[in-house]
Amino acid sequence: MSKLNKIAKKSTWVDMTAFVDVAFLILSFFMLATKFKPPEVIKIENPKSVSSENQPDKDVFKVSFDAQGRVFVSFSSDPEGKEKAQGLAQQLSKQKGLNLSNAQIANFVRFSVGGIGVPVTQLPSFLNFSEGEYKQFPQPGIPVQDSTNNQLNDYLNALLTSTGGRKPTNVMLNGDNGTKYPYFKNVLAAFKKNGIFSFKLITSLEGVPSGTPLYKQQNERK
Amino acid sequence: MGADVSAPDSGGGKKGPGVKKQARKDTKVDMTPMVDLGFLLITFFVFTTTMSTPKAFKLNVPDDSAKDEEKNEAKASGAFTVLLGKQDHVYYYEGQLLPDGSNFKSSNFKAIRNEILKKKANTPEKDLVVIIKPNEESNYKNVVDMLDEMQIAVIKKYAIVDISEGENALIKITEGGSVPPSGGK
Repeated sequence: MSKLNKIAKKSTWVDMTAFVDVAFLILSFFMLATKFKPPEVIKIENPKSVSSENQPDKDVFKVSFDAQGRVFVSFSSDPEGKEKAQGLAQQLSKQKGLNLSNAQIANFVRFSVGGIGVPVTQLPSFLNFSEGEYKQFPQPGIPVQDSTNNQLNDYLNALLTSTGGRKPTNVMLNGDNGTKYPYFKNVLAAFKKNGIFSFKLITSLEGVPSGTPLYKQQNERK
Repeated sequence: MGADVSAPDSGGGKKGPGVKKQARKDTKVDMTPMVDLGFLLITFFVFTTTMSTPKAFKLNVPDDSAKDEEKNEAKASGAFTVLLGKQDHVYYYEGQLLPDGSNFKSSNFKAIRNEILKKKANTPEKDLVVIIKPNEESNYKNVVDMLDEMQIAVIKKYAIVDISEGENALIKITEGGSVPPSGGK
């Protein structure tokens, strides 16, 4: 009886200190190794490539196209990106006679971080949206299908005019795996028409397969 | 009060009954809420961040206005044409496409690398040019994968060119399942 009592009274205390150590170790790993998801309104899954060059995050002009072929333009949220977004909006308003108010242009700059994908004619009503409405609104994408009505061309033209012909430093193309080739071709066509021939495609990293010429070249350099 | 307690404690009166009780005071802290907090933060970070940092893949495209002269430079013997069809299908031919389509071959993304490397080994470097022709049913991933193959095989000259109707017809016939042109081989 006394023996049984002794067992029942054994402390159930568990030392959690080691557990805390592990939890905070994992926590610090995630804090250091990951990056916050960019506020994208569009869902895009990038293809893989062997390129290991890091993506620039300052002064970026990005054209995205998703699996359905909807095309969006966006700018980085740093001052230079904002300045270019503002220039584009002002110029587009002037060229297409949209008469955008200052509030609408400010909205353009705000929305341009997440991506803007509406035809030029829909811009004024689209820019009246609040932040919440913008996130809810299913943007139809900038029309590029038809070569006579490739409106990405209008956006690019306005951007280049606003910078006085100076090409954007980092032109990124952010395409989805499933986008059909003609959309990509039409996006390229719009860029070519405006004299931009150099791009960076956003891809996720993939290891170089061993035994290939690139693999040998990289090993020689080391 | 604290000084009162610690003074006899450090004084060495360890065996005294009253002091012993003070020294044995439980210093354990319940860590459970801290663990909870830790894992809550971990969950937060797992859901709001991304692991893979996107990389930039450089692409330079030629000016279309200068295309005609450049096109003629490609020697037929050094040309290797890759055609991209729907559902990740890859087709290729070396040199020029024969009128009967007998050198038009079907392949896939795994096998095409060896074909490119074979062609590279058999061709003088200055003549080698890989022409990528995606048709309207291929997708962006196929094109980027093919560009990536160019990096992997270290091909200096490659181009994305519009597909011709004849070539597209051959792809359609092959994908349609009726008499593949390379079936006889």
